[in-house]
Amino acid sequence: MAEVTLSKIVKKYDEVEAVRGIDLDISDHEFVVLVGPSGCGKSTTLRMIAGLEDITGGEILIGGDIVNDVPPKDRDIAMVFQNYALYPHMTVAENMSFGLRLKRFPKAEIKKRVDEAARILDITELLERKPKALSGGQRQRVAMGRAIVRNPKVFLFDEPLSNLDAKLRVQMRTEIKKVHQKVRTTTVYVTHDQVEAMTLADRVVVMNHGLIEQVGPPNELYHSPRTRFVAGFIGSPAMNFIPARIEQNGSGLAIKLNDKLAFPVPEARKTRYEKYAGKNDMLLGLRPEHITEAHGHMEPGKIPFDANLEVTEPMGMETLVYFPLNGTQICGRVNPKAGAQDGAPMQLAADLNNMHLIDAASGRVL
Amino acid sequence: MAIVRRSLLLIALALYTSFAAGPFVWAAMMSLRTTTEIHRNHFAFPNPAHWDKFSDAWFKSNYAVYFANSVQVVVVAVLILTVVGAMAAHCLARYKFRFNRVIYFILFSTIIFPPQITIISLFQILVQYGLYNSKLGLTLVYVAIQLPLTIYILESFFARIPADLFDAARMDGYSDWEIFWRVALPIALPAVATTVILNFILLWNEFLYAVVLITEEANRTLPLGIQRFLGDTQEDVGMIATGLMIAIIPVIVVYAFFSERLIQGMTAGAVK
Repeated sequence: MAEVTLSKIVKKYDEVEAVRGIDLDISDHEFVVLVGPSGCGKSTTLRMIAGLEDITGGEILIGGDIVNDVPPKDRDIAMVFQNYALYPHMTVAENMSFGLRLKRFPKAEIKKRVDEAARILDITELLERKPKALSGGQRQRVAMGRAIVRNPKVFLFDEPLSNLDAKLRVQMRTEIKKVHQKVRTTTVYVTHDQVEAMTLADRVVVMNHGLIEQVGPPNELYHSPRTRFVAGFIGSPAMNFIPARIEQNGSGLAIKLNDKLAFPVPEARKTRYEKYAGKNDMLLGLRPEHITEAHGHMEPGKIPFDANLEVTEPMGMETLVYFPLNGTQICGRVNPKAGAQDGAPMQLAADLNNMHLIDAASGRVL
Repeated sequence: MAIVRRSLLLIALALYTSFAAGPFVWAAMMSLRTTTEIHRNHFAFPNPAHWDKFSDAWFKSNYAVYFANSVQVVVVAVLILTVVGAMAAHCLARYKFRFNRVIYFILFSTIIFPPQITIISLFQILVQYGLYNSKLGLTLVYVAIQLPLTIYILESFFARIPADLFDAARMDGYSDWEIFWRVALPIALPAVATTVILNFILLWNEFLYAVVLITEEANRTLPLGIQRFLGDTQEDVGMIATGLMIAIIPVIVVYAFFSERLIQGMTAGAVK
């Protein structure tokens, strides 16, 4: 077990900077998920921790030791790959023990570790099978087993669930979490799926264009994003961004969306936003769950408005409604019994207690 | 309906089999008949069967020497081709280095030259290096002519092995050398078997290079031995057929041994 420290890490491919000087401290036993869109540098960062990519600049420390020039095999880490990377000509047991055999572990010790990992992952009956005789989920378990038997300081996962179907992905997600709870090994996990990131991580690292946008526990990222990118990336369906202007309205403040529609800013947020009064190029950020059907008696901060629904998507426990506002497509979440219909008008309510105000130019959440 | 379809299929298969195997069966029948008998009736059954022709060919016509030479030259050439070809293919498919594709193109482009173009200069080179009329010289030539195709077949197979497997092996602690022998090569076995069969059959039957580069009786390979039964004025058809049957046995053995792998190699990637 060990902590991992990335200090000013840079990775260049010729003139292209894939990772642009990132800093990250990962504590012992922690489960950290690197998440971001394709090409954001998350996999490259993971491969640099693994030692599979050279580092152009900066330092990587595992357990307090600088490992920049240490080959992968001597870093005491184990990695689970996207397409499992099981050796097709070996049985499950051979796959799992391949690394231990090279390190000349005693046979009894190898067997003990393989049996223990197989027990944890519930694959004992598969040990003598070849990978081609396994299902996707079983292969994924074997790939994890191969990592577990090495009892490494750090586990690295490179999008391990992206080859599985949706149902199996959810199931395996739980499995990975359970395994981490059992073995408590420091884990760095890469995914482009924000749901995976939110459900698995102790802390989520959101990356974009080779930089870290924000690091924090899943709920912090969800409720207090620091940038428009994080606000838009975390959460599904994504947060709505509505072009707006903030204006003084008597003694209060209002968010003016257009000539007909302006929402008063709740008292609690007034001081925070006062200095931006009169400023153009603002975005009102509202998550779909903060745009709901309007009720007769509404709590303070919830403002009713009329919308012409274009599309509704019944999800069972809720219905997603889509409508245009200020030239943007907006998504809201209403009760399935609220009577939302395609092409029909509906009175909705915006919960400004959970609003975000974003400077459109800098992308900063104010 | 199913019976009709099955019958039609069987008839088609039977026709194709007789078309493909006919010449082989005919040569097999002729190998047990004398030339006089064959001239009398080309297609008759061997009655009586002259099994003694095989021992005559083997002992009296120096076939034992030709056979041993062929085995020596072809087995060594195929062995070198397989090892060197697989290493080169693995290297070209797996490692990124400057001029990778240029080297691949140069290697592969050599197969466009017909042997007739290069054979005179090859002859000169072998004479110059004292390799003319030697099994070593012929072996090296065989390796050179088959290497591009071997690399071509293997490279496309190696390129399909996911890079993650090699990364996983690196993390397991294996060196590049061990990764080749313990991961890449076992996975590429179907493709390797394909090249072994193709190279073996091609070189076992190779005549042109052998006839130009070997003249000494002691170094002749089987195809040259069979040629000896072709006289200036008369052909000993019976003995040629016997010689052919002796020559064909190793090919059948190699094919039977590797055929399952060959099919796997040829259909690799066809299904997920």
